[in-house]
Amino acid sequence: MSGVKLEHIYKRFGKVTAVGDFNLEVKDGEFVSFLGPSGCGKTTTLRMIAGFEKPTEGSITIGDTVMSDAAKGFFMAPEKRGVGMVFQSYAVWPHMNVIDNVAYPLKIQKVPKEERLKRVMNILEVVHLKEYAERLPNQLSGGQQQRVALARALVAEPGLLLLDEPLSNLDAKLRESMRFEISGLQKKLGITVIYVTHDQSEAMTMSDRIVVMSMGKVQQIGKPVDVYSHPANQMVADFVGLVNFIPSEVRGDGKVYLENTDISFPNEKNLSGKVVLAVRPENISLHKDHGMIEGLLHHHFYLGDSIDYRVQVKGHFIRVIVKGAEFGKFKDGDKVFLDFDKVLTFPQQ
Amino acid sequence: MKKSLPRLDSKFIVIAISVLLLMYFIVFPLLVLIYDSFFVNGVLDISNYREVYGKAVNWKSLTNTVQLAFIVMIASVIVTFPMAWLVGRTDLPFKKTFRTILVASYMIPPYVGAIAWVQLLNPSVGYLNNIFKAVFGLSQAPFNIYSMGGLAWVLTLFYSPFAFITISRAMEKMDPTLEEAARISGASPLRTLKDVTLPLMMPSIVAGGLLVFIAAASCFGIPAIVGMPGNIEVMTTRIVTFVYQGDSAGIRNATALAVSMMVIANGLLFFMSYLLSHKDYTTISGKSTRPNIVELGKWKPLALLIVGGYAFIAVILPLGSIVMTSFLVSMSKGVELSNFGIDAWIPVITSAQYMESIWRSVVYGVIAACIGTALALFVAYLSVKTKITGRSLPDLLVVLGGATPSIVISLALIITFSGNYGLNIYSTMWILIVSYLVKYMTMSVRTIAASLSQVHSSLEEAALNSGASWIRTCKDIIIPLIAPSIVAGWFLIFMPSFYELTMSNLLYGADTKTIGVLLYELQTYADTQNASVLSVIILVIVLVGNLILNKATKGKVSI
Repeated sequence: MSGVKLEHIYKRFGKVTAVGDFNLEVKDGEFVSFLGPSGCGKTTTLRMIAGFEKPTEGSITIGDTVMSDAAKGFFMAPEKRGVGMVFQSYAVWPHMNVIDNVAYPLKIQKVPKEERLKRVMNILEVVHLKEYAERLPNQLSGGQQQRVALARALVAEPGLLLLDEPLSNLDAKLRESMRFEISGLQKKLGITVIYVTHDQSEAMTMSDRIVVMSMGKVQQIGKPVDVYSHPANQMVADFVGLVNFIPSEVRGDGKVYLENTDISFPNEKNLSGKVVLAVRPENISLHKDHGMIEGLLHHHFYLGDSIDYRVQVKGHFIRVIVKGAEFGKFKDGDKVFLDFDKVLTFPQQ
Repeated sequence: MKKSLPRLDSKFIVIAISVLLLMYFIVFPLLVLIYDSFFVNGVLDISNYREVYGKAVNWKSLTNTVQLAFIVMIASVIVTFPMAWLVGRTDLPFKKTFRTILVASYMIPPYVGAIAWVQLLNPSVGYLNNIFKAVFGLSQAPFNIYSMGGLAWVLTLFYSPFAFITISRAMEKMDPTLEEAARISGASPLRTLKDVTLPLMMPSIVAGGLLVFIAAASCFGIPAIVGMPGNIEVMTTRIVTFVYQGDSAGIRNATALAVSMMVIANGLLFFMSYLLSHKDYTTISGKSTRPNIVELGKWKPLALLIVGGYAFIAVILPLGSIVMTSFLVSMSKGVELSNFGIDAWIPVITSAQYMESIWRSVVYGVIAACIGTALALFVAYLSVKTKITGRSLPDLLVVLGGATPSIVISLALIITFSGNYGLNIYSTMWILIVSYLVKYMTMSVRTIAASLSQVHSSLEEAALNSGASWIRTCKDIIIPLIAPSIVAGWFLIFMPSFYELTMSNLLYGADTKTIGVLLYELQTYADTQNASVLSVIILVIVLVGNLILNKATKGKVSI
């Protein structure tokens, strides 16, 4: 078990800054996700922790060992870092069977053959692959190959496990069940995990903390509930969960007004000038005859457990999701009233 | 249903004609060759095999061939594997330039390379030998190109690009995370190479090596120019000697050797394609990330020196020698400033005989390329786009032709099309053109098929659905979409046909002497300067062709 410390990490490729001033301290046994759109620098950061990329600036410490320190020109090769890693493409070696794949880290460590086999079989039992031990990778499904990769990363009992979008090549159902398996395994082994994903629900369900990244910069670090209900900026609000952005302004009385209306909200952040009001679709309620804002129901989709409405308000479309709503209560073209609950305000970008 | 019948018919007729042509010009001659090697007037007679393999000189040519091809194969793999790795996976400077240079000898006619190395390393006046003698004060030339070693040297330099292309392609295709997974498991870079990289690349390495083996064993130009003066015979030169004998006994002996060669070459090629289709791990990969570029650090100058040195020796030195020789006023005076001029060029450029040969080669190349591309288009369409039973048969026939050594093809054509079986095109231009088609259509089919498989069948169906006939659909939809590959396919037949030697040398007649044959004759009569001038002309035409090809396909295909 080991914590990870990243201090002032920069990574530049020529003139492009892929990662800029990344600071993070991951505690022992913590599950941290790097979440962001593709190209945001999350995978590059993970690869710097693994030792596949050299930071241009800054230092990385795993446990009590400094792994790389750009200022001192110090860099430890990936094979000496003692971490486990699961790759997006699984990277299961096609010329070795399941046992040989999983046993490889132990073989490098010169663990005696008998003990090696015992430990391999143990970890294969944990990932439910015991009966596939003799198979070659091309005889396994994607999900099974993923488990082989996981077993191989865990067999040497590393203190830190790195996962690079491990579930993105699996189908939806399997993805969901693997989420629970991975987080269950992490709790059972008490291992520190850094998990890279662009899927917000993966990050929300598994993580102790989420690092939201965009354009090479950390946007917010926090617990899933904080990131969701108190996003640090418009980017985070937009990337994590669904949100309506409505152009607004701060008027003379210091309150936030929806553009071209008299509807106001408290100005908690003491912003001024043009601002953006953010409200999540599930934080809006829909009424037939009373409410803050009047609008026109343009169209709606029935989703089974909820109904997804598009309401036209002063030229804007506002998305409203009502859970367990009664179908047929509102018809397209109806006049409706909206009430906003939990609104957020951001300065206009 | 009724309306679709005529469409099916036009498609069917075109395809049926293609198949029949391929059968008649590829399969039939090879069958005749095999039959003729075993039967005389319908009676089994293998006296030719006994005769051929009963004589030491023939056995020697067989062992020489196998020995040479084996040495060249091993040397090529040993040289190109690190080269492919340095160019593909490290931060070596000028990587792109090196890649171009390393595959460049692929487009130089092998006999031009042989002529260049004879100029550089012949024991009496070789440029390099002279330099070594002067620098080290030697009384004798240190190298003799007319030896097994010299032959292996030239063959390796000119056929290693086959291995380089195969190996570096596999290296690029391999998912780099497979190696990273080994590193993170604790393996050092060297251990990773041994446990992961090499085993995964082995099928491609073996395939590349076998390609080199077959090419070296089937080569005629290099052994004819480098080996013959040193009395070193290989199977191809032996077959030519038998054919030159001019009587039926000579031809029969030649067929025995040719059938043996065909069995070896085609056997190895089918083994190779089996190996690649069943054990090609490198294609198994998910979304691959940016390849992990290895930093050479303090090894960079050494790596640069090795790759740069090889590129210099393999390509720049021989080409430089040819160009320089073509501009020498007199061969006897040696390399000095006053001895440079265009004197050697004048008689060549003004010679009607030389210019006719060049023009002839261009015309034959163009005819072969036009017929070949049209046929290749149908063959590729049939195998990629239709569901007709036996659709890949023509493709297989074309591959069979390409896989057969040139010398075997030319012998089969001589036997079959000199009137014994109806058609007599012997010593006309058509027998040359047929031979080029048999040998070179395969690359064209591959290129066009690869491009056709990218055109989704719904595009074609949409045109048919709009009321266009199949022919109209081809003209309006398919051909415009795959135009670059058609241009590439055309050049892939034109260029090797243009400078072809092995087959032309056996098939040409009084009025059909091509530039390759002319050049070979000049070299054999020791007219080095005229040979150099012609070589430079060939190189310029090939270079221009390659530039056009590169432009037309946006750099995707070149020879």
